[in-house]
Amino acid sequence: MTVGGGAAGAPQAIDPKKIRLYGLVGSVLGIYIAYLLNAATGTNVFSLVGAVAAIFGVVWGANAVRRVCAYGIGTGVPSIGMLALGMGVVAVLFGLNLAEQIGLGILGPIIALVYSMVFGFIIGTIANKVIKFNIPIMEEGLTDLSGAGTMAILGWSFAVSGSLAYNDMVSSVINTGFLAIIFICGGLAILHPFNANLGPDEKQDRTLVNAVMVGGMATIATGVCSILTLGLAAGVLQILVGFAIWYYFYVWFFRLVKRDAAAVVGTGMLPPSVL
Amino acid sequence: MNFDINTLVYILEITVGGLLVGIGVHFVPVGGAPAAMAQATGIGTGTVQLAAGSGLTGLLSAGLMMSVTDNIWLIIATGAVGAMIMIDATMLTGSWIYAYAVGTPFASAKVNYDPFTGFSQPPYIGPGTVGQGIPTVCYVSGTIGAAMGGIGGAMIYYPLVQVNNNPAMSAIFAIGIFLVSAVLASWNIQGTIEGFHDPKFKKWPGAFKACAVASIILAIVAVVITPIGGV
Repeated sequence: MTVGGGAAGAPQAIDPKKIRLYGLVGSVLGIYIAYLLNAATGTNVFSLVGAVAAIFGVVWGANAVRRVCAYGIGTGVPSIGMLALGMGVVAVLFGLNLAEQIGLGILGPIIALVYSMVFGFIIGTIANKVIKFNIPIMEEGLTDLSGAGTMAILGWSFAVSGSLAYNDMVSSVINTGFLAIIFICGGLAILHPFNANLGPDEKQDRTLVNAVMVGGMATIATGVCSILTLGLAAGVLQILVGFAIWYYFYVWFFRLVKRDAAAVVGTGMLPPSVL
Repeated sequence: MNFDINTLVYILEITVGGLLVGIGVHFVPVGGAPAAMAQATGIGTGTVQLAAGSGLTGLLSAGLMMSVTDNIWLIIATGAVGAMIMIDATMLTGSWIYAYAVGTPFASAKVNYDPFTGFSQPPYIGPGTVGQGIPTVCYVSGTIGAAMGGIGGAMIYYPLVQVNNNPAMSAIFAIGIFLVSAVLASWNIQGTIEGFHDPKFKKWPGAFKACAVASIILAIVAVVITPIGGV
């Protein structure tokens, strides 16, 4: 049950429009930079830039989750994260395939993004008009979430496959079943931050730092997957980068927790009587 | 892709599948966090988790049957049975915990007499709770809901495999469609529901309309996708 925030909407230090811009530009540019670097150097080591691009999408999505869920959706935060990833996975397959069909494979991410945002807007309109949620930012929030879910799946899929071609994506991400890992880890990165931090003292910076932290953990998971698809060097490099992201943002998150908590005290080891 | 009468049938099948999932969710006794603390009737987790669990089991069993035969009726029936077994096993083991570990009597807060057993319910409802455990009427309702979810999952999966010849891709695509329908339906319920005897069940036309629009869009997108190497 979502109780945090109340009907007034979530307080925010960074404007959601700015975060949307960072998320959009960061994730799209990141995927293309990774693609170009891979193509220019003839290696697949730079696939990990795709994972970094996915984290831009995750921050965008986590901010949309906290904005929508602050109104209270009555079914728990995980439902909206699963919806985002459900819309995203359909959009990614559709975008990459349609781009190949019209002979412009490189446009796949753009087609996926545009389709997913249109579909998210339609679902948001349905939620407000048919299901009668009456959340003023529902259309905007689901447009953001759908796009963010798509970019998260696409970024991490690229990190595993190292290619934007539909056939490579299907054979190395979908047929191997790695998409299930991306689905759940990416979903966690988008839905978990608000689920973990919600409440009257929820702060935007703490939630978003948590999102990057979980994104780092998801990158470790995709790194393990990419050992099989891209080889040992690219995979281990991705695990190390994921670990570095996780560690840096974990320390940062802990600092913010200490800032926002009334007190942080050690409980010590368990007393001998319970061991 | 080549558009013919079969494509239209596939779109129709996927749409009906999405609708069945959306309506089926309303039958499943979802208790959420209150049920996990034995303060409400139903299974102690959210709608999406239950719908996804039953739907995925349905997909798996339908996929297994599909590796043996092409008969759509057998595949749909297997999907339904797989999902029913999954939800029934969850409700049965959950009931053991409510009965023997938590120690609560099963009682529905939404009906005075259980329509199947005829037992009186209100005397057994604990003070400050809205029923506990999974009474017979909820169990039957949950089984019906799981059957609809399983049939829906199989009806989404079957045409997808015909379109793209790739079971892995069809499964992940079906999960995407399944989740969209299940989340829309659970938003329509808004929290907990006991089953078809719950007054909230009357809200199903909302989910029907919402899932219809969403499933048609997803179905049109799904049939456009070509198999690997066929570009």
